[in-house]
Amino acid sequence: MWKAVNSGSAAAEDALKQYLPPCQMKCPINEDIQRTNVLISMLPLDLEEALDGIVQIGDYLYEWNPLFPVCGYVCGLCELECNYQEKGGAIRRRLLKRFISDHYLNRIREKPELDVEKTKENVAIVGGGPAGLMCAYDLSRRGYRVTIFEASDRLGGALWLIPHYRLPEDVLTTVVNNLVRISGADVKMNAKIGDGKLTLDKLKKDGFRAVFIAKGTPLPRILTYGREKVEGQELSGVMYGQTFLYEVSHGNIQPGYFRGKKVVVIGGGNVAFDVARTACRLGGETTVVCLECADKSSRDGIPADEDEIKGAWEEGIRIVYSRGVRKIVGQGGKFQKIECPLCTSVFDDNGFNPQFDPTDVITIEGDVLMITVGQGPDRSFLHQEGLLNEKGGLAVDPLTLQSLNKDWIFIGGDIRRIGFMVEAMHEGLIAAESIERYLRGLDMKAGRKRQFEAQDIPYRRVYKHEPEVVWIPPEKRLHFQLFERGFSLKEAVEEAKRCARCGPCVSCKACLAIDIQDCLPTVEVNEDVCSGCGICTSICYYGAAGSRYKEGRMISSTDVFRCKACGMCVVACPSQARKMVGDTMEQKIDQVYAGLTA
Amino acid sequence: MSEVTTEWVVHGWSKGKQMSKKPKVAIYWLGACGGCDEAIVDLNEVLLKVASAVDIVLWPLAMDYKYDSIENAPNGSIALSIIHGNIRNSEHEEMARLLRKKSQIVMAFGACACFGGTAGLANFCGAESIMKWVFHEAPTVENPQHQMPQAESPWDGQTLTLPELLDHVYTLDQVVHVDYYLPGCPPPPDLISHAIFAVLEGKLPPRGAVLAPQKALCDTCPRNNTKPPKMDITEINKIHEIEADSHTCFLMQGVVCMGPATRSGCGETCLRINTPCRGCFGPVGGVEDSGAKFLSALTSLVKATTDEQVRSIMEKFQDPAGCLYRFTQPTSILGKRVKARETV
Amino acid sequence: MPLHEPKIVCFSCCFGWGYLTGRDVLSLRIKHWIPVVCTGKLDSTHLLKAFREGADGVLILGCPDGDCHFQDGNYQTRKKIHLLHRILESYGIDPRRLRMELGTDPEGNTIPKLVENMARELKQLGPVRINGRQVSAGVSAEP
Repeated sequence: MWKAVNSGSAAAEDALKQYLPPCQMKCPINEDIQRTNVLISMLPLDLEEALDGIVQIGDYLYEWNPLFPVCGYVCGLCELECNYQEKGGAIRRRLLKRFISDHYLNRIREKPELDVEKTKENVAIVGGGPAGLMCAYDLSRRGYRVTIFEASDRLGGALWLIPHYRLPEDVLTTVVNNLVRISGADVKMNAKIGDGKLTLDKLKKDGFRAVFIAKGTPLPRILTYGREKVEGQELSGVMYGQTFLYEVSHGNIQPGYFRGKKVVVIGGGNVAFDVARTACRLGGETTVVCLECADKSSRDGIPADEDEIKGAWEEGIRIVYSRGVRKIVGQGGKFQKIECPLCTSVFDDNGFNPQFDPTDVITIEGDVLMITVGQGPDRSFLHQEGLLNEKGGLAVDPLTLQSLNKDWIFIGGDIRRIGFMVEAMHEGLIAAESIERYLRGLDMKAGRKRQFEAQDIPYRRVYKHEPEVVWIPPEKRLHFQLFERGFSLKEAVEEAKRCARCGPCVSCKACLAIDIQDCLPTVEVNEDVCSGCGICTSICYYGAAGSRYKEGRMISSTDVFRCKACGMCVVACPSQARKMVGDTMEQKIDQVYAGLTA
Repeated sequence: MSEVTTEWVVHGWSKGKQMSKKPKVAIYWLGACGGCDEAIVDLNEVLLKVASAVDIVLWPLAMDYKYDSIENAPNGSIALSIIHGNIRNSEHEEMARLLRKKSQIVMAFGACACFGGTAGLANFCGAESIMKWVFHEAPTVENPQHQMPQAESPWDGQTLTLPELLDHVYTLDQVVHVDYYLPGCPPPPDLISHAIFAVLEGKLPPRGAVLAPQKALCDTCPRNNTKPPKMDITEINKIHEIEADSHTCFLMQGVVCMGPATRSGCGETCLRINTPCRGCFGPVGGVEDSGAKFLSALTSLVKATTDEQVRSIMEKFQDPAGCLYRFTQPTSILGKRVKARETV
Repeated sequence: MPLHEPKIVCFSCCFGWGYLTGRDVLSLRIKHWIPVVCTGKLDSTHLLKAFREGADGVLILGCPDGDCHFQDGNYQTRKKIHLLHRILESYGIDPRRLRMELGTDPEGNTIPKLVENMARELKQLGPVRINGRQVSAGVSAEP
């Protein structure tokens, strides 16, 4: 809960609702986007000189989000809610973050371990993906002794599914490995909880007082038609996209693997496109077949990001919309073609319920079939450990992530509900807080339900257009290097300047950080003098100055959360009924004027 | 406002006791047009009440008097001096100082005494150029020998004197200490009677107060609620250049109305006859320069995208200084000057 | 008699001018310098008062159009300058004495130069006079 820090009588009450810019609301971890935007905009234009500032910004981001460099490559949820969208294009915040991480990565390797004494209990984290890693870092910071149990031989979880042309390998490994080093967490590789003797009870016996389960969704979903499993999924040449991407990330697939081959990818999500674009880079002639239609604004629209679809199309990938797969046909045990009836609708009011027209069927031939229709959790493990409810769903409190069946177990991330990387990270943080409250005997729920309200974009005369994002031309990008060019320092500073800073001062305070002000001033209205002329209300760019009736007379007031203390209303008030409290400009002016006749 | 009793105990009058002496009141004009006197006469029947309650010792409009009687009166013997008009020449200065010496309470009555009034605009020209214009340069003047009025002229073995034009128009309080202010050009009858009876009954606010409401005109203006939430001025018109709507805010019609920066209390007499406010009640409490504040307010409402557009809108605002400082030039930030004061 | 050395009061916006250099360092090079958080906070009263208190010139350095941290503060002040020039003329003050420039200089090194340039241009005008009368300490003191 933010309290407005000010030294006037205009004190702000504890807000039940927190005002935030919409980008920070959309970010699952409510990162300080506005603040970092302002800090970036104030960097010197010489890279040498700017490094110090960049490192400071990086340190600040790292403190709350040790996985932030990865976000700079793969996230960008904030941009979906950016108020500037309708005014010229969302602020390219992801690229700004990537800019910081590009110059900060070296620092991460040198960052010292957390200076925290681990005096509290042992906690086990099952799963070394984003959720588990964030939880491990947060708990370590709080003084717990954390052990991560990872089933595979490397940390990172589903992040390894992301092709290297989007997320470079060294960024991922640097971030993940150093997180573990800095946090001081213990890691056990090739330790799959649920395998044989490694049960949750064994963990309890071994002294772990709480466990966070973040095993993710390692199992690819099988292809179904109606409610039946489609035949032919065991044919040679048929694979699951997810498995394929893991293999690629392990380096097991040689370049040119699909040269001369026709690859058909079933699926319409981002992972399907990752598979398709990877196959394309391995030389395959690739087609994507999905249930959804091309109109992203409709309920049945294809879920993949516009950027992915555009990139895929540029790389020569064909996309076939509104088709289901009724049958996988093989010949001699090898995949040959699929039969695709027209999908007339995907969702109805009850949810996912695709409808088909059996009279409109096409066939698509290929050498390789990649099924990428989703991933699922290891349900048998959950069932074995007694973590499901009677209906077969996960028995967990959505606010605290505490298991409803076993109070020392906490479950979060994709295993609970499949979502974005940062959503999983958020659940890692929630679990860490819950575990702390549980082990310290505090109330599990108090103060945790937060309500946010988005602030609108401030008014200004001229809005600026977004910069172009530069991609390597498609014919030159069929390799696994990054194809998106990041910002130069100058571009980053310019783009950060474009941010309209919609959010309230109390959630930003960048100006205090850069030493432009000593405190956040507030604006007070002298109601004995205010005539209700409405000029302040008209001029306020932030919708903070308002007019209302008080005892039958019009009076103006200031909404402390919207007010940026920009001073326009104070200047415009013809009665001088408004005053800045906590601002030192008047004294400075008097001082200098006194020196004029000295 | 705390109540202040005047020393010479006027309660006697309000409590109905027979006073041996009625309080003495002087009403005097300095650099004035006579409008303020007219306003006092406009009290009508109330004037009779006032006249019977006080002893008017000086009122050039209505009575015969000689300066000697004032000079010979003991200091502080006049309970209340209502002084209107600004200080433009040496006689004004002399009389202002004289009445200050002889009075307990000095009230600056009307815009000229309070802020300098319209004649204050002369400060933009300067005394010398005014004299040259009036007596020589004006097109209708025939004065081939450049004869100018002199402060002293010999005539028939004697010296005739004329008051000398000061080089600057001063407000009353820039020359003597003023106890109360009653703004307006002229002040309206209801404010006048309130003020006078407040003095007589001893129910006055602390000295230095303005005897009019605290807030700007928009507070009481019937057109205030016709303003849209976003007020954009895209052109400036003079009142005669448009057919002004009689219910909508003038600023919204592009007509400069000083209301937002002017103290209320006049009863919006100008607005009721579809004329914009010209600012004769001066600034609201706490504001030094209502013209400067109005400039800030007005420009903040001007809506334009380019510098050129702003310039072309502003160009239609003829004589901004004259409009913004019509009544208040001598109290403006750049126009203010103080003549050495005698302490009371 | 040597020409009068004009006193220039310089207002500059902290978000656009000199934020990368220490304030104490810059203030040694700019005599009557007032860094402000947004030039939009400057009222007509501040600007007019400068002349009354003895400034021969006022230079306002705001951020480029469209770059104001508070959306349009620089534009608000720009609008005032138009009318203020005409007011100054009525008071017998050459409008060239009030100037606003839009731009950005994070190091702030051009500020002393801009002040010097203005001083040089105003030198031939002599000291500021308000309606013909020279300003000196205490003359325009409040009643």
